[in-house]
Amino acid sequence: MTAEHPMVRLAGVAKRFTKGKETISIFDHLDMAIPRGDFIAVMGPSGSGKTTLLNLLGGIDRADAGEISVADRRIDGLSEGELAAWRAANIGFIFQFYNLMPMLTAAQNVELPLLLTKLRSKERAARVQTALSVVGLADRMKHRPREMSGGQQQRVAIARAIVSDPNLLLCDEPTGDLDRQSADEILSILQLLNGELGKTIVMVTHDPAAANYAKRVLHLDKGRFVERELAA
Amino acid sequence: MRSLWLQVAAVTTINLKSIGQRRWLSLSTVIAIALVVIVLLAFLAMANGFQRTIAGSGADDIAIVLRAGSQAEINSTVSRDQVRLIEDGPGIARGSDGKPLISPELYLVVDGIKRSTKTKANLPLRGIGEQGSESRKGITITEGRMFNRGSNEVVVGKALLREFEGLDLGSTVSFGATRWNVVGIFESGGSVFESEIWADLNVVQSLFNRNNIVQTVRARLTGPAALNELKSYSDNDPRLKLDVKSEAAYFAEQASQTSDLIQKLGWPLAIAMALGAIAGALNTMYSSVASRATEIATLRAIGFGGFPAFVGTLAESLLLAAIGGLLGAAATYLIFDGVTASTLGGNFTQVVFDFKLSPWLIAEGVALALIVGLIGGLFPALRAARLPIVEGLYAN
Amino acid sequence: MNDFDLVRKNLFRRKLRASLMIVSILIAFMIFGVLAGFYRAFNAGEDRAAADRMITVNKINFTQPMPIAYFNRVKSVEGVRQVTFANWFGGYYQDPKNFIMALAIEPNTYFDVYRSEFEVAPDQLQAFMRDRGSAVVGESLAQKWGWKIGDRIPLNSNIFSQKSGGHTWDLTIAGIVKGKAEHVDTNFLLFQYPYFDETRSFGKDTIGWMILQTTSPENNDRVAKAIDAMFANSTAETSTDTEKAFGKAFAAQFGNIALIVLLVVGAAFVTILMIVGNTMALSIRERTREIGVLKTLGFSGPRILTMVLGESVLLALLGGIPGLAIAALIAMALRNSLANVAPAFSVSPTIALQGLGLMIALGLITGIIPALNAMRLRIATALGRG
Ligand SMILES: Nc1ncnc2c1ncn2[C@@H]1O[C@H](COP(=O)(O)OP(=O)(O)OP(=O)(O)O)[C@@H](O)[C@H]1O
Ligand SMILES: [Mg+2]
Repeated sequence: MTAEHPMVRLAGVAKRFTKGKETISIFDHLDMAIPRGDFIAVMGPSGSGKTTLLNLLGGIDRADAGEISVADRRIDGLSEGELAAWRAANIGFIFQFYNLMPMLTAAQNVELPLLLTKLRSKERAARVQTALSVVGLADRMKHRPREMSGGQQQRVAIARAIVSDPNLLLCDEPTGDLDRQSADEILSILQLLNGELGKTIVMVTHDPAAANYAKRVLHLDKGRFVERELAA
Repeated sequence: MRSLWLQVAAVTTINLKSIGQRRWLSLSTVIAIALVVIVLLAFLAMANGFQRTIAGSGADDIAIVLRAGSQAEINSTVSRDQVRLIEDGPGIARGSDGKPLISPELYLVVDGIKRSTKTKANLPLRGIGEQGSESRKGITITEGRMFNRGSNEVVVGKALLREFEGLDLGSTVSFGATRWNVVGIFESGGSVFESEIWADLNVVQSLFNRNNIVQTVRARLTGPAALNELKSYSDNDPRLKLDVKSEAAYFAEQASQTSDLIQKLGWPLAIAMALGAIAGALNTMYSSVASRATEIATLRAIGFGGFPAFVGTLAESLLLAAIGGLLGAAATYLIFDGVTASTLGGNFTQVVFDFKLSPWLIAEGVALALIVGLIGGLFPALRAARLPIVEGLYAN
Repeated sequence: MNDFDLVRKNLFRRKLRASLMIVSILIAFMIFGVLAGFYRAFNAGEDRAAADRMITVNKINFTQPMPIAYFNRVKSVEGVRQVTFANWFGGYYQDPKNFIMALAIEPNTYFDVYRSEFEVAPDQLQAFMRDRGSAVVGESLAQKWGWKIGDRIPLNSNIFSQKSGGHTWDLTIAGIVKGKAEHVDTNFLLFQYPYFDETRSFGKDTIGWMILQTTSPENNDRVAKAIDAMFANSTAETSTDTEKAFGKAFAAQFGNIALIVLLVVGAAFVTILMIVGNTMALSIRERTREIGVLKTLGFSGPRILTMVLGESVLLALLGGIPGLAIAALIAMALRNSLANVAPAFSVSPTIALQGLGLMIALGLITGIIPALNAMRLRIATALGRG
């Protein structure tokens, strides 16, 4: 976990959106490094580009310039297909609105990323079981999203994000839609994943209390970071 | 009461305005319904056209005399003696020269070539007696002249000319080893006779080796009532025992078989397709209800009743169906009405007829469309009326 | 769980919608199955026609008679292996409405020419040849009226009369004719021409048509020319054609049945294409967000394309296969009543296979645009805001 081998490295990244004739530049020249095992909270005003940043890190959107490496692998040059395979192995996403498949049970939702692996169904079942236990939902395997609370759904989403054992978890306002208590549960789980399992986590949030769970907080404003170390 | 109508009007307006949001789905329903109507109306127009051609051929005061049980002219045989006995029968009209208006006839099948497919098809060559055209009604020579007695000349029905090759005025046609000159074209008000070729009975008999053989006798009656006199005359003479029918009855029988068959094909097909279209309409209307769930629930929350939601949905469905039905009827009219076709009729020969739509048939088509719309809208409309408000408010 | 489960669950998440789609596809394939089956049966004569069999008819028209003397003359034409002939009887049973396809045939040669189609037990055939006043009856006709060997059937003619005056011939059933293949129609009655010719009141010594078998199909053209030349310029010129060409021309007399079938099936398919295509597009649009999530999880574009296509093909199969099955049942039910028009009406394996091909094509066509859209979907757009 040296500075030369960070989990994530951005160098000179630029991102612009064109809407009709208008072009808005979100990032002009963004540099950043996230060490392995870090847990970062990204805060900033609405529209500052937080989601865009996560999308770039997860390879679901492309930068207009610059280099993006994750675990020493350049991803900015990968094709769509290569990116998909890469995401399956390396990235876990957690969204504000959970984004579970309504027609699948909790276990089936968690199993989805494993369909992209060569694992047999027995091994898959075991992994799903483990992931759901980690988030404390081993007893809800057969429930469908609509039969669960928001907090429970988000925990299923976390289980789905970690089931294929990725190194980097990207969370976009994971507690934005939850009450305080559920939010705390989710954040504790993230902390545990970071602390015990060594997952590197980048979490976007508007909630200062949520940011407190992270090791550091980065403030994004006008396309630049303003870093502040948290008191230990 | 007034408030209810205002509510209905408001919801219906919302419904109809929202069709644009589902334009492709709505359009597919309209087209599906239109296609159902086209299939139905095409078959019905075919049956109707065929029916009109054949059934329109018969008159009440013309009798046709056939061998008992023969059913069609082509099967029948009547002997010389029997012809003479009929000449003396009661109720038969007489011409200005005092001769009875009867025509002994020979009905032969010859090959013709269909213009559209260039394949051989059965055409009727009718040898008619001296009074052949007088014992029928409405026969007019439109081009050329009538054949001369005793010569190998023919006149050709107008409809045959359209569908078959080599029968034009002035041409020579051969049937087997015999040769005939086409000297005239005749019309008979769109009846089945226009699908026939006529020649002199005696010439046909001798050239086709049927000397002294006659198949049917046509007799002009003094009036429709005279039919029964002639019938009982035939029934009571053991030398006759022939089937005596009015031409109208004879052709009605002939027409009904084929046109029944066409209708029997058309209706089940159209109904099967209509079931498919109902599935499509239901789908469209359920989507409509789902996409308006929030609006409906909001209106309900304000205090609107369930009934307006029901009416609005049903109105949308019926509107789509009506558009589809009218579109289908218009398309059928443009594509099929007046199209000429020919098929084997009851006499084993080609009958040329036109597809013919009628206002009544169009009404049947539109009615089927509306039934599709009604069923397709009813269940979704019930769902709209019963939609739980809370669920609707938070849909999407 | 695997990709197929996912496809299946996606399809049935809106059960009502899926069921409605399935119903409309089912109906389209039912119409396809019934009409294709009917069309095949209607043209079966043509398909069935033996390549080495030809028909000689009067050149004026096949309903015109020709002299029986032609039979012996044709027999001696080089390249003719066997000849037989038949005469239309215009039969009915009890009531003119009960049409019976009855022919007076040349008893010694008829079953030789048709030996690849029909089979009569040797002892029954012997009995038929021995008894001039006997008849053999096709299996399905015998079944229809419950006729058995030894029964005496009063067969009426709507054309011919006995010399003695009546229109009825009493015939004893000497045998049952069995079809040698499943699709051979056996809805007929055959009796002896010599007896018929002797007893009828007019038309003596004429026959309806001749059926001949050539030594090889290669000789067909030559044989036809030789026969027709032999009778040229006589009062009864002939026209000789292969059985297939003859059957085809006859079928064409009813009108352009193929076109009608094509138009109706076409209309049914355009209908479901529209309905199903639009619904697939709608349901994929509704799932934009989920597709974005799948992509985020690492599902590749082609894999998503396949899943959407899989869904539309599955839908087509779920509707189409039962549709064809129902068509097969309808064909079975209508088989007897349509025996005269379309003998051996059924949904054949070929039709089923064509249907299967159509189902897959339908699935691919209705699914391809939504699938391409799903494949190309950009994740950032799909997940959108909020
Ligand atoms: N696909 C797009 N097309 C055009 N503009 C876009 C697009 N995606 C994002 N933007 C713009 O980029 C800017 C950053 O968007 P982004 O979603 O990253 O903001 P955010 O920091 O996540 O905001 P929030 O806190 O509200 O989620 C916004 O001004 C947004 O309008
Ligand atoms: Mg955001």
